[in-house]
Amino acid sequence: MALNRDLRIATGAVVCVDSKLDGPITIGPRTVVHPKACIVAEGGPIVIGESNIFEEQCLIKHNANANTDRPRTLKIGSNNVFEVGCVISAKSVGDNNVFESNCFVGPEIEVGNGCIIGVGISLERPEKLPDNLVITGGNYNRTIAADKPPAQTLQLDFLTKVLPNYHHLRKPKDRPNVL
Amino acid sequence: MELQDIYYDKTEYVETTSGNKVSRQTVLCGSQNIVLNGKCIVQSDAIIRGDLANVRTGRYCIISKNAVIRPPFKKFSKGVAFFPLHMGDHVYVGENSKVNAAVVGSYVHIGKNVVIGRRCVLKDCCMIEDGSVLPPETVVPSFTLYSGSPATWTENLPDCTQDIMIEYTRNYYQHFVPRPI
Repeated sequence: MALNRDLRIATGAVVCVDSKLDGPITIGPRTVVHPKACIVAEGGPIVIGESNIFEEQCLIKHNANANTDRPRTLKIGSNNVFEVGCVISAKSVGDNNVFESNCFVGPEIEVGNGCIIGVGISLERPEKLPDNLVITGGNYNRTIAADKPPAQTLQLDFLTKVLPNYHHLRKPKDRPNVL
Repeated sequence: MELQDIYYDKTEYVETTSGNKVSRQTVLCGSQNIVLNGKCIVQSDAIIRGDLANVRTGRYCIISKNAVIRPPFKKFSKGVAFFPLHMGDHVYVGENSKVNAAVVGSYVHIGKNVVIGRRCVLKDCCMIEDGSVLPPETVVPSFTLYSGSPATWTENLPDCTQDIMIEYTRNYYQHFVPRPI
């Protein structure tokens, strides 16, 4: 494991050693990063909030691109779930979103709060997703849900209890702010 | 039709006494909770999550590259639980597929890039086409072919599906051989 000096992990976060974390990344408390999850901060720092779940094979990218009005820091809110195999390179991600398996969110997209991006959905055109948007199915049906998806608190509790029994974890370290 | 030999690098695979061939590039989390009942092939970069719950597969299961086998998760009024995942004999799981099912029967063919949602039940002798998405808690009956996103019934399978799958997985196992030097 290469030592990543710019990594900051808050106490209470569960980050498996098998995950790949590149560049300046800040991980908030109670966030769970499964083995083989991949977070790459090439274009600038990534700041991840509380209680997120990153499942295996998911890829969070923050690429450098001078031509866009991309903010330098990619902010990911709280209570998001990134399921197996999703690829996210969005400009920003709000709170309470669910990114289901194998979905793709392109670099020109701002994700609001409470969105559900269904299995295999691929979003590439620039847009700002409104709150509580649900996109599902092969025809990309869009609906606005009445409420945000439920928080995964119970699953998080379970994972924070179980994962340390089977995996080596990265130690939490609160370094002085490098951003 | 006779299957062509598929060669693998002898240094990459581990062969157990019961005939399982498991790549060294796989991620087997919580290996004490994973039971491969013999003659199974687990190819490179596959992920089996035994840390969440028990995973048991029958004989002649083929888990292709990049597939993810992950026990499903259910919320109860008090607390949560991951359910054990059981797979029958002669199951083929294609590349890049994600299996989140509760039960996968015997003689099941799961294509490439398939996503099987939480707590699905796949009965014996069914087939999921490439690129399908099974919504959570779907029950796929025997002798049916499901496809699409969300996956629905498309066709019935012939009565000989069991024999086809037995022959297919046996052939695959027999032709999955180390590269001759």
